[in-house]
Amino acid sequence: KFRDAAAMDSGAPGANRGGGLGTFGAGRRPPRPVGALAVGSRQPSVETLDSPTGSHVEWCKQLIAATISSQISGSVPSENISRDYRVFRRPEIRRALRDGNKLAQMEEAPLFPGESIKAIGKYSTYCISSPYLGTDSHKVKWYVADDPHFILDVPLGVISRVEKIGVQSHGDNSCGIEIVCKDMRNLRLAYKQEEQSKLGIFENLNRYAFPLSNGQTLFAFNYKEKFPSNGWKVYDPVSEYKRQGLPNESWKISKINSSYELCDTYPAIIVVPTSVKDDDLTKVAAFRAKGRVPVLSWIHPESQATITRCSQPLVGPNDKRCKEDEKYLQTIMDANAQSHKLIIFDARQNSVADTNKAKGGGYESESAYPNAELIFLEIHNIHVMRESLRKLKEIVYPSIDETKWLSNVDATHWLEYIRMLLAGAVRIADKIESGKTSVVIHCSDGWDRTAQLTSLAMLMLDSHYRTIQGFEALVEKEWTSFGHRFALRVGHGDDNHADADRSPIFLQFIDCVWQMTKQFPSAFEFNELFLITILDHLYSCLFGTFLCNCEQQRLKEGVNTKTISLWSYINSQLDEFSNPFYVNYENHVLYPVASLNHLELWVNYYVRWNPRMRPQMPIHQNLKELLAIRSELQKRVEDLQREAATRSISSSSDRGSSPSHSVTPVHTSV
Amino acid sequence: MEFAELIKTPRVDNVVLHRPFYPAVEGTLCLTGHHLILSSRQDNTEELWLLHSNIDSIEKRFVGSLGTIIIKCKDLRIIQLDIPGMEECLNIASSIEALSTLDSITLMYPFFYRPMFEVVEDGWHMFLPEKEFELFSSVTNEWRLSYVNKDFTVCPSYPPIVTVPNCIDDEALKKVATFRHGGRFPVLSYYHKKNGMVMIRSSQPLTGTNGRRCKEDEKLINATLRAGKRGYIIDTRSLNVAQQARAKGGGFEQEAHYPQWRRIHKSIDREGASVLIHGTEGTDSTLQVTSLAQIILEPKCRTIRGFEALVEREWLQAGHPFQQRCAQSAYSNSKQKWEAPVFFLFLDCVWQILRQFPCSFEFNEHFLILLFEHSYASQFGTFLGNNESERCKLKLQQKTMSLWSWVNQPSELSKFINPLFEANSLVIWPSVAPQSLQLWEGVFLRWNRSSKYLDEAYEEMINIIEYNKELQAKVNTLRRQLAELETEDGMQESP
Repeated sequence: KFRDAAAMDSGAPGANRGGGLGTFGAGRRPPRPVGALAVGSRQPSVETLDSPTGSHVEWCKQLIAATISSQISGSVPSENISRDYRVFRRPEIRRALRDGNKLAQMEEAPLFPGESIKAIGKYSTYCISSPYLGTDSHKVKWYVADDPHFILDVPLGVISRVEKIGVQSHGDNSCGIEIVCKDMRNLRLAYKQEEQSKLGIFENLNRYAFPLSNGQTLFAFNYKEKFPSNGWKVYDPVSEYKRQGLPNESWKISKINSSYELCDTYPAIIVVPTSVKDDDLTKVAAFRAKGRVPVLSWIHPESQATITRCSQPLVGPNDKRCKEDEKYLQTIMDANAQSHKLIIFDARQNSVADTNKAKGGGYESESAYPNAELIFLEIHNIHVMRESLRKLKEIVYPSIDETKWLSNVDATHWLEYIRMLLAGAVRIADKIESGKTSVVIHCSDGWDRTAQLTSLAMLMLDSHYRTIQGFEALVEKEWTSFGHRFALRVGHGDDNHADADRSPIFLQFIDCVWQMTKQFPSAFEFNELFLITILDHLYSCLFGTFLCNCEQQRLKEGVNTKTISLWSYINSQLDEFSNPFYVNYENHVLYPVASLNHLELWVNYYVRWNPRMRPQMPIHQNLKELLAIRSELQKRVEDLQREAATRSISSSSDRGSSPSHSVTPVHTSV
Repeated sequence: MEFAELIKTPRVDNVVLHRPFYPAVEGTLCLTGHHLILSSRQDNTEELWLLHSNIDSIEKRFVGSLGTIIIKCKDLRIIQLDIPGMEECLNIASSIEALSTLDSITLMYPFFYRPMFEVVEDGWHMFLPEKEFELFSSVTNEWRLSYVNKDFTVCPSYPPIVTVPNCIDDEALKKVATFRHGGRFPVLSYYHKKNGMVMIRSSQPLTGTNGRRCKEDEKLINATLRAGKRGYIIDTRSLNVAQQARAKGGGFEQEAHYPQWRRIHKSIDREGASVLIHGTEGTDSTLQVTSLAQIILEPKCRTIRGFEALVEREWLQAGHPFQQRCAQSAYSNSKQKWEAPVFFLFLDCVWQILRQFPCSFEFNEHFLILLFEHSYASQFGTFLGNNESERCKLKLQQKTMSLWSWVNQPSELSKFINPLFEANSLVIWPSVAPQSLQLWEGVFLRWNRSSKYLDEAYEEMINIIEYNKELQAKVNTLRRQLAELETEDGMQESP
């Protein structure tokens, strides 16, 4: 039942063919030809791992003549195929591939409702002989004919760019494609030149992977799966604020932004101080970047200390002031009787904030805001984070330098940035909880670092957000509704892979959450798979949850009506995503240790595509089974008890004549 | 020598103890021959009870007349004592220094420790070579027990009883011993019952620069292989180091003289071949390799008893010089060249495998931490001495208590049971990729983190498992009741 079976299935180090993705090993790949098209420095140009076994080289060299069946469009019947909700588990495909005309059966492969096959090709990659490559409107799939267990499934949304590369090692008329993914992997395949013209795989990939650049819609708008749960209902702002005890005498739920006129990147419903007039609010909006006025994110149920979020004040080089803004912050401070101070956390580096000031932005001065204390959290901007993740990808895929692993991880600074975020959130949570002091959090625009900090601090302070539904609401609230620019930061459906607006801000947040789950294994209702699933669908474009840049845009696009929420999928199978350890630390404030020796690289996420990564049965799998056994046993106990009860009743009524029964009258006669 | 001579100030009041994650405690500090004790005198609880032998280094500093001693322990804990009075502080510091570096083994605590528990099973007699031999002698007659070393003259670091090929007599063994470093002739380390392949270990052959040979050695090594089978000689050193060793009289096996064998200087895959493993002396890296291989191959070694037997067989009886290796640790200023965390490193490796196969081990992390602690400082005699010969002379079996006697009491054992354990008869191949290995937080960050939440999660897991057991028991009782009711019904119907 709980055996470590999976780990043992995969072979010994260096065994001929590792399990699963092992076949993608860099060590199994012939060295890159010098004349290859430039694809950046991501691939080591020489072999770094053990040299492949002889037979494997031969195997790799095989170039199977391609047969094609391109541009098969039109929907494939799928409604009649029964399917559980495990989106990515398709055993029927494997069965279909085992025999007969495989290509024909590929066409019958079950698809998502709304999905269609755009191209199928028979390919040879560097490392896999004769896989079938299918591009359908949502995913690229590889099926290896001689290994029914090998299916590589890549949602098109995950593709960052597709490039042609040289593959002279496969013969003169061969060419290849490198698919660079947003989820820490790159895939390469090779094929005969003449097939390319017939097949158009390269063009197809570019066309379907970047629908927005090609005037098409994202797949989420075609995806028609039905789930019993409706994820669009997990977050309702009014009930969430009600849960927090709002409105109260100091704070009101305002509809001033109901048509997104005050601030077009804010949600329709915001919470602001009761006493602030709408006119003043408009003036505050004019003084804050992008009109993002300070609004309430969270209120402490006892002390009434609040977390408010906003963007930078437009102070500018001439130290412009805004009476209404100053009064506004004073009102926020006054709303909390426990403290005569307000702390403003500016997430940025002090020096960067100064530069911003020269460009019209800035930060709150002590003279204008005498009761406020300003603290810079010195967190770097989106470009630094993007570069850090790029370095991280370089060192984990496709091969890992064994001798320099730790120093390489260190050099990416990834964990250092995770540490700074957690440390900042801990400071915020501590000010609220121990200092009973209200805090205002902003960076420049208040939609990246600010969202990271408010949501992490809220996760520490409020156990509700540590449940599955609570976490979903947290993401909907602090990220989606408050205008984290998912479309821009991820680059959904867009072929401009070098766009400077892309940055792994949300990934960093999820990483921080994972670090917290490591330190508090029982405090979160969800498990690691939940977090990984969220990240997978951050890129997949299968669900509408992470589309668009703000609420107004989502409304315009009809995201909530035309697409399915990721939470529908997740909440329809909560067992998969539940943490068996969960004991709910209600009313506990959890401060993670934000120190580098307590943080670790999230290997199960970042390194999962590495060919050397040994797939192991995760412990939560075992524990899930334990829970299943528990409920099964509980049921059995109940059944048996019921059965025993009915039997003993029936037998005791039968027992009228049994000798033991005669005792009773003696008692009654006493 | 009397301990009293070393203890100039046995007792100081108003000492303040600082530890991470605990509030500072003020109390009375007492020094005994073997312990440093701090008591807050409240509820008679001792706040600190530290073996002197656990102390790796001490530092002292003064601010006015307030002295501060920082004690760094071999279990990697660091504590601070604020001691009022310069003289008291200096006295305490010099006493600790002297008491934590006693030269004579017989002055160590295990010789003074009086157990407060009843010994059910004496750990000194739990793992006898004869018993271990019986485990596989029923399936093969290729091996025999030899008593050639019964008085430790052939090899001072070997136990009195060793397992050798049946066809090699004791006279030949004596000759082979002269050809091997420290007399450590090849002996059986592990017999793999599944395929009859074996792991043998030794020290380096003394070939020297002239390429000296030893016919008996060649015969012995070849006798371990069945006809037509290949074997691998795994030299744990790099080729370079092995070659340099020849200049000092050591060396390695020439393949020409051992035709069935191939020599390699790195690890190998699973292949179903027999192996001979040695480094230079065969008392350190050799034992790490042979014992880790057994963890991977042999399910028995992944049980508590089996692991204890493995430590006994492959470390204690095999002559790993614990006394020398564990004399000091990471914080010590006076590094001796014979000090090295070899056994500790082995335990870390086991932990890495345990982490990768969380259900395949009967014991948990705490068991490994326990062994780590006791190998450095202990009230038990198990890890004293460098080999069986020394232990014999010290009369440890008569004068000290075995760690196993204590650990194997049911009340203690329950702390070390892995609740997820499910016997796994398979070979477990761990991943050795760098991203699969982790810092052993349970040891290295043990004193540097609060484990409250981790412990609670662990307890929750145990709760689930215990509750499942209860439910299962309930199911069984109910079934029985039902069956009884049914038979009663049957009896009623039958007349």
